[in-house]
Amino acid sequence: MNEPAVFTALTALYVYGVVPAGTRLALPGAGVEASDVEILEAGDVAAIVSAVPIDEYGDESLLRHLNDLAWLQRTAQAHEAVLERALGTTTVIPFRMTTLFAGEPTLRVFLQERSEVLLELLRRFEGKVELGVKAYLERRATEPSAADSGRAYMLQRQAVQEAARDADVLAVKCAQESHERLATVALDARANRAQPSELSGRSEQMLLNGAYLVARGDTQLEEAVRDLEQRYAERGVTYELTGPWPPYNFVPRDLAAS
Amino acid sequence: MNEGQPLPLEEQITLLELVDRVLNKGVVLTGDITLSVADVDLVYVGLRVLLASAGTLDRMALESREGAAA
Repeated sequence: MNEPAVFTALTALYVYGVVPAGTRLALPGAGVEASDVEILEAGDVAAIVSAVPIDEYGDESLLRHLNDLAWLQRTAQAHEAVLERALGTTTVIPFRMTTLFAGEPTLRVFLQERSEVLLELLRRFEGKVELGVKAYLERRATEPSAADSGRAYMLQRQAVQEAARDADVLAVKCAQESHERLATVALDARANRAQPSELSGRSEQMLLNGAYLVARGDTQLEEAVRDLEQRYAERGVTYELTGPWPPYNFVPRDLAAS
Repeated sequence: MNEGQPLPLEEQITLLELVDRVLNKGVVLTGDITLSVADVDLVYVGLRVLLASAGTLDRMALESREGAAA
Protein backbone atom coordinates (compact mmCIF):
# COMPACT_ATOMS: atom_id res chain seq x y z
CA MET A 1 0.00 0.00 0.00
CA ASN A 2 2.98 2.29 0.53
CA GLU A 3 3.06 4.79 -2.32
CA PRO A 4 6.51 5.63 -3.55
CA ALA A 5 6.30 9.07 -1.98
CA VAL A 6 9.39 10.37 -3.76
CA PHE A 7 7.90 9.83 -7.20
CA THR A 8 4.50 11.19 -6.26
CA ALA A 9 6.13 14.34 -5.03
CA LEU A 10 8.32 14.81 -8.08
CA THR A 11 5.95 14.19 -10.95
CA ALA A 12 2.84 15.95 -12.18
CA LEU A 13 0.49 15.26 -15.07
CA TYR A 14 0.94 17.42 -18.14
CA VAL A 15 -2.34 17.59 -20.06
CA TYR A 16 -2.19 18.17 -23.84
CA GLY A 17 -5.92 18.13 -24.38
CA VAL A 18 -9.15 16.21 -24.07
CA VAL A 19 -10.49 13.51 -26.42
CA PRO A 20 -13.52 11.20 -26.35
CA ALA A 21 -13.26 8.13 -24.12
CA GLY A 22 -12.14 5.09 -26.07
CA THR A 23 -9.40 6.97 -27.93
CA ARG A 24 -6.27 4.87 -28.35
CA LEU A 25 -3.05 6.82 -28.25
CA ALA A 26 0.23 5.60 -26.82
CA LEU A 27 3.32 7.48 -27.92
CA PRO A 28 6.36 6.33 -25.97
CA GLY A 29 8.92 9.11 -25.60
CA ALA A 30 7.05 11.50 -27.93
CA GLY A 31 5.78 13.89 -25.26
CA VAL A 32 7.26 16.99 -23.67
CA GLU A 33 10.65 16.34 -22.02
CA ALA A 34 10.69 13.10 -24.09
CA SER A 35 7.99 11.68 -21.80
CA ASP A 36 5.60 8.86 -22.63
CA VAL A 37 2.18 9.95 -23.83
CA GLU A 38 -0.85 8.11 -22.46
CA ILE A 39 -4.60 8.33 -22.20
CA LEU A 40 -6.37 8.79 -18.89
CA GLU A 41 -10.08 8.03 -19.06
CA ALA A 42 -12.82 9.29 -16.78
CA GLY A 43 -16.37 8.50 -17.82
CA ASP A 44 -17.14 9.65 -21.36
CA VAL A 45 -14.05 11.79 -21.81
CA ALA A 46 -10.32 11.23 -21.62
CA ALA A 47 -7.21 13.36 -21.27
CA ILE A 48 -3.96 12.99 -23.21
CA VAL A 49 -1.28 13.10 -20.54
CA SER A 50 2.40 12.71 -19.71
CA ALA A 51 4.03 12.39 -16.32
CA VAL A 52 6.61 15.18 -16.08
CA PRO A 53 9.10 16.22 -13.40
CA ILE A 54 7.38 18.90 -11.34
CA ASP A 55 10.53 20.92 -10.66
CA GLU A 56 10.80 21.75 -14.38
CA TYR A 57 7.39 23.41 -14.24
CA GLY A 58 7.48 25.37 -11.01
CA ASP A 59 6.85 29.08 -11.50
CA GLU A 60 10.48 30.04 -11.48
CA SER A 61 11.87 27.32 -13.72
CA LEU A 62 8.86 27.53 -16.03
CA LEU A 63 9.44 31.23 -16.62
CA ARG A 64 13.09 30.63 -17.26
CA HIS A 65 12.21 27.80 -19.67
CA LEU A 66 9.58 29.82 -21.52
CA ASN A 67 12.14 32.51 -22.22
CA ASP A 68 14.67 29.96 -23.44
CA LEU A 69 13.88 29.77 -27.12
CA ALA A 70 15.29 26.28 -27.60
CA TRP A 71 13.15 24.92 -24.74
CA LEU A 72 10.09 26.81 -25.96
CA GLN A 73 10.47 25.47 -29.47
CA ARG A 74 11.07 21.89 -28.31
CA THR A 75 8.12 21.90 -25.93
CA ALA A 76 5.70 23.74 -28.24
CA GLN A 77 6.53 21.31 -31.04
CA ALA A 78 6.06 18.27 -28.80
CA HIS A 79 2.74 19.64 -27.50
CA GLU A 80 1.50 20.28 -31.03
CA ALA A 81 2.84 16.98 -32.43
CA VAL A 82 0.96 14.99 -29.78
CA LEU A 83 -2.28 16.86 -30.47
CA GLU A 84 -1.84 16.41 -34.22
CA ARG A 85 -1.40 12.66 -33.77
CA ALA A 86 -4.67 12.61 -31.87
CA LEU A 87 -6.33 14.91 -34.40
CA GLY A 88 -5.48 12.38 -37.11
CA THR A 89 -7.85 9.83 -35.62
CA THR A 90 -10.29 11.63 -33.34
CA THR A 91 -11.64 14.95 -32.05
CA VAL A 92 -9.42 17.07 -29.82
CA ILE A 93 -9.96 19.93 -27.37
CA PRO A 94 -6.53 21.54 -27.24
CA PHE A 95 -5.31 22.80 -23.86
CA ARG A 96 -2.78 25.51 -23.45
CA MET A 97 0.83 24.35 -23.32
CA THR A 98 2.11 23.72 -19.75
CA THR A 99 -1.28 22.83 -18.23
CA LEU A 100 -0.39 20.71 -15.21
CA PHE A 101 -2.37 18.65 -12.73
CA ALA A 102 -0.98 17.49 -9.41
CA GLY A 103 -1.90 13.89 -10.11
CA GLU A 104 -4.42 11.35 -11.41
CA PRO A 105 -7.09 11.91 -8.74
CA THR A 106 -7.24 15.69 -9.35
CA LEU A 107 -7.43 15.20 -13.10
CA ARG A 108 -10.15 12.55 -12.82
CA VAL A 109 -12.25 14.84 -10.64
CA PHE A 110 -11.80 17.66 -13.15
CA LEU A 111 -12.81 15.48 -16.11
CA GLN A 112 -15.87 14.16 -14.32
CA GLU A 113 -17.00 17.56 -13.05
CA ARG A 114 -16.61 19.16 -16.49
CA SER A 115 -17.71 16.19 -18.57
CA GLU A 116 -20.84 17.94 -19.81
CA VAL A 117 -19.09 20.98 -21.25
CA LEU A 118 -16.22 18.84 -22.55
CA LEU A 119 -18.61 16.49 -24.34
CA GLU A 120 -20.46 19.44 -25.84
CA LEU A 121 -17.19 20.81 -27.21
CA LEU A 122 -16.17 17.41 -28.56
CA ARG A 123 -19.47 17.17 -30.39
CA ARG A 124 -18.99 20.66 -31.77
CA PHE A 125 -15.51 19.92 -33.12
CA GLU A 126 -16.20 16.44 -34.46
CA GLY A 127 -14.76 16.14 -37.98
CA LYS A 128 -13.54 19.74 -37.98
CA VAL A 129 -10.14 21.38 -38.08
CA GLU A 130 -8.77 24.90 -37.82
CA LEU A 131 -6.98 26.61 -40.70
CA GLY A 132 -4.97 29.79 -40.35
CA VAL A 133 -4.81 32.51 -42.99
CA LYS A 134 -2.52 35.50 -42.90
CA ALA A 135 -2.41 38.23 -45.54
CA TYR A 136 0.54 40.56 -46.04
CA LEU A 137 0.86 43.77 -47.98
CA GLU A 138 4.14 44.71 -49.58
CA ARG A 139 4.15 48.49 -49.52
CA ARG A 140 5.98 49.61 -52.61
CA ALA A 141 8.35 52.47 -52.19
CA THR A 142 7.75 55.14 -54.82
CA GLU A 143 10.87 55.57 -56.90
CA PRO A 144 12.41 58.92 -56.14
CA SER A 145 13.51 60.67 -59.34
CA ALA A 146 15.66 63.75 -59.67
CA ALA A 147 13.35 66.77 -59.39
CA ASP A 148 14.66 69.64 -61.59
CA SER A 149 12.19 72.25 -60.38
CA GLY A 150 10.18 73.22 -57.32
CA ARG A 151 7.00 72.25 -59.16
CA ALA A 152 8.30 68.82 -60.04
CA TYR A 153 9.33 68.32 -56.43
CA MET A 154 5.85 69.25 -55.18
CA LEU A 155 4.20 66.91 -57.67
CA GLN A 156 6.49 64.13 -56.60
CA ARG A 157 5.72 64.69 -52.95
CA GLN A 158 1.99 64.66 -53.69
CA ALA A 159 2.34 61.40 -55.59
CA VAL A 160 4.16 59.79 -52.66
CA GLN A 161 1.47 60.91 -50.21
CA GLU A 162 -1.30 59.66 -52.48
CA ALA A 163 0.39 56.30 -52.84
CA ALA A 164 0.60 55.98 -49.04
CA ARG A 165 -3.09 56.88 -48.67
CA ASP A 166 -4.05 54.38 -51.37
CA ALA A 167 -2.08 51.67 -49.58
CA ASP A 168 -3.89 52.44 -46.30
CA VAL A 169 -7.28 52.22 -48.01
CA LEU A 170 -6.29 48.99 -49.75
CA ALA A 171 -5.07 47.51 -46.45
CA VAL A 172 -8.41 48.06 -44.70
CA LYS A 173 -10.52 47.01 -47.69
CA CYS A 174 -8.48 43.89 -48.41
CA ALA A 175 -8.44 42.77 -44.75
CA GLN A 176 -12.20 43.17 -44.43
CA GLU A 177 -13.05 41.60 -47.74
CA SER A 178 -10.69 38.68 -47.22
CA HIS A 179 -12.03 37.83 -43.78
CA GLU A 180 -15.66 38.13 -44.92
CA ARG A 181 -15.04 35.98 -47.97
CA LEU A 182 -13.22 33.31 -45.94
CA ALA A 183 -15.86 33.38 -43.20
CA THR A 184 -18.59 32.52 -45.73
CA VAL A 185 -16.93 29.17 -46.49
CA ALA A 186 -16.06 28.42 -42.84
CA LEU A 187 -18.22 27.07 -40.01
CA ASP A 188 -16.76 29.63 -37.64
CA ALA A 189 -14.21 32.42 -38.00
CA ARG A 190 -11.96 34.57 -35.85
CA ALA A 191 -10.03 37.65 -36.91
CA ASN A 192 -7.11 38.03 -34.53
CA ARG A 193 -5.20 41.25 -34.24
CA ALA A 194 -2.60 41.57 -36.98
CA GLN A 195 0.91 41.17 -35.63
CA PRO A 196 3.23 44.16 -35.91
CA SER A 197 6.18 43.53 -38.18
CA GLU A 198 8.52 43.53 -35.16
CA LEU A 199 6.77 40.35 -34.06
CA SER A 200 5.96 38.81 -37.43
CA GLY A 201 9.58 39.25 -38.44
CA ARG A 202 8.56 40.32 -41.94
CA SER A 203 8.98 43.60 -43.73
CA GLU A 204 5.47 43.39 -45.19
CA GLN A 205 2.49 44.75 -43.25
CA MET A 206 0.22 42.04 -41.87
CA LEU A 207 -3.36 42.76 -42.95
CA LEU A 208 -5.16 39.68 -41.76
CA ASN A 209 -4.50 37.18 -38.98
CA GLY A 210 -7.51 34.89 -39.25
CA ALA A 211 -8.49 31.45 -38.00
CA TYR A 212 -11.24 29.40 -39.64
CA LEU A 213 -13.05 26.28 -38.51
CA VAL A 214 -13.79 23.97 -41.44
CA ALA A 215 -14.88 20.38 -42.01
CA ARG A 216 -11.84 18.17 -42.40
CA GLY A 217 -11.02 17.67 -46.10
CA ASP A 218 -13.18 20.62 -47.20
CA THR A 219 -11.21 22.51 -49.86
CA GLN A 220 -13.46 25.57 -50.15
CA LEU A 221 -11.32 27.73 -47.89
CA GLU A 222 -8.19 26.86 -49.84
CA GLU A 223 -9.98 27.80 -53.06
CA ALA A 224 -11.19 31.06 -51.56
CA VAL A 225 -7.61 31.91 -50.57
CA ARG A 226 -6.49 31.24 -54.15
CA ASP A 227 -9.26 33.51 -55.48
CA LEU A 228 -8.24 36.29 -53.13
CA GLU A 229 -4.62 35.78 -54.09
CA GLN A 230 -5.46 36.27 -57.74
CA ARG A 231 -7.56 39.30 -57.04
CA TYR A 232 -4.99 41.06 -54.88
CA ALA A 233 -1.65 39.80 -56.21
CA GLU A 234 -1.19 42.81 -58.48
CA ARG A 235 -1.65 45.15 -55.52
CA GLY A 236 1.17 43.48 -53.61
CA VAL A 237 -0.85 41.25 -51.26
CA THR A 238 0.24 37.69 -50.49
CA TYR A 239 -1.57 35.03 -48.46
CA GLU A 240 -0.29 32.33 -46.17
CA LEU A 241 -2.40 29.29 -45.30
CA THR A 242 -1.45 27.07 -42.34
CA GLY A 243 -2.94 23.97 -40.76
CA PRO A 244 -4.83 21.81 -40.23
CA TRP A 245 -4.55 22.75 -36.56
CA PRO A 246 -6.49 21.50 -33.56
CA PRO A 247 -9.25 24.10 -32.94
CA TYR A 248 -7.12 26.31 -30.67
CA ASN A 249 -8.95 29.49 -31.66
CA PHE A 250 -12.41 28.07 -31.07
CA VAL A 251 -12.25 26.62 -27.59
CA PRO A 252 -13.47 28.77 -24.71
CA ARG A 253 -10.58 30.54 -23.04
CA ASP A 254 -11.66 29.21 -19.67
CA LEU A 255 -13.94 26.21 -19.25
CA ALA A 256 -15.39 27.70 -16.09
CA ALA A 257 -16.65 30.69 -18.05
CA SER A 258 -18.41 28.65 -20.74
CA MET B 1 18.01 35.39 -23.31
CA ASN B 2 18.77 32.31 -25.32
CA GLU B 3 21.77 30.17 -24.60
CA GLY B 4 21.75 28.39 -27.97
CA GLN B 5 22.33 29.62 -31.50
CA PRO B 6 19.78 32.10 -32.85
CA LEU B 7 17.20 30.40 -35.04
CA PRO B 8 17.02 31.06 -38.78
CA LEU B 9 14.31 33.58 -39.66
CA GLU B 10 12.04 31.03 -41.37
CA GLU B 11 12.12 28.87 -38.28
CA GLN B 12 11.38 31.84 -36.03
CA ILE B 13 8.26 32.64 -38.04
CA THR B 14 7.08 29.02 -37.89
CA LEU B 15 7.78 29.00 -34.16
CA LEU B 16 5.83 32.21 -33.68
CA GLU B 17 2.82 30.79 -35.53
CA LEU B 18 2.99 27.72 -33.31
CA VAL B 19 3.62 29.54 -30.04
CA ASP B 20 0.83 31.99 -30.81
CA ARG B 21 -1.52 29.01 -30.76
CA VAL B 22 -0.15 26.74 -28.05
CA LEU B 23 0.39 29.55 -25.54
CA ASN B 24 -2.15 32.17 -26.53
CA LYS B 25 -5.10 29.95 -27.39
CA GLY B 26 -6.47 26.65 -26.23
CA VAL B 27 -8.24 25.93 -22.97
CA VAL B 28 -6.68 27.79 -20.06
CA LEU B 29 -7.49 26.49 -16.62
CA THR B 30 -7.46 29.05 -13.89
CA GLY B 31 -7.77 28.85 -10.17
CA ASP B 32 -6.55 25.98 -8.06
CA ILE B 33 -7.09 23.23 -10.61
CA THR B 34 -3.72 23.40 -12.25
CA LEU B 35 -0.23 23.86 -10.95
CA SER B 36 1.24 26.18 -13.54
CA VAL B 37 0.44 29.83 -13.08
CA ALA B 38 3.37 31.45 -14.85
CA ASP B 39 2.59 34.72 -16.55
CA VAL B 40 2.93 33.78 -20.20
CA ASP B 41 2.93 37.38 -21.33
CA LEU B 42 6.55 37.43 -20.28
CA VAL B 43 7.35 34.92 -22.98
CA TYR B 44 6.56 37.48 -25.57
CA VAL B 45 9.10 39.83 -24.13
CA GLY B 46 11.77 37.35 -25.09
CA LEU B 47 10.27 36.44 -28.44
CA ARG B 48 9.71 40.05 -29.37
CA VAL B 49 13.28 41.01 -28.61
CA LEU B 50 14.54 38.19 -30.74
CA LEU B 51 12.19 38.76 -33.64
CA ALA B 52 12.56 42.50 -33.48
CA SER B 53 16.27 42.16 -34.02
CA ALA B 54 15.63 39.80 -36.95
CA GLY B 55 13.12 42.30 -38.37
CA THR B 56 15.60 45.12 -37.94
CA LEU B 57 18.21 43.16 -39.87
CA ASP B 58 15.68 42.59 -42.63
CA ARG B 59 14.78 46.24 -42.85
CA MET B 60 18.44 47.21 -42.90
CA ALA B 61 19.07 44.79 -45.78
CA LEU B 62 16.07 46.20 -47.64
CA GLU B 63 17.11 49.78 -47.11
CA SER B 64 20.64 49.15 -48.27
CA ARG B 65 19.27 47.53 -51.45
CA GLU B 66 16.96 50.47 -52.03
CA GLY B 67 19.79 52.86 -51.26
CA ALA B 68 21.97 51.16 -53.85
CA ALA B 69 19.18 51.32 -56.45
CA ALA B 70 18.55 55.03 -55.97
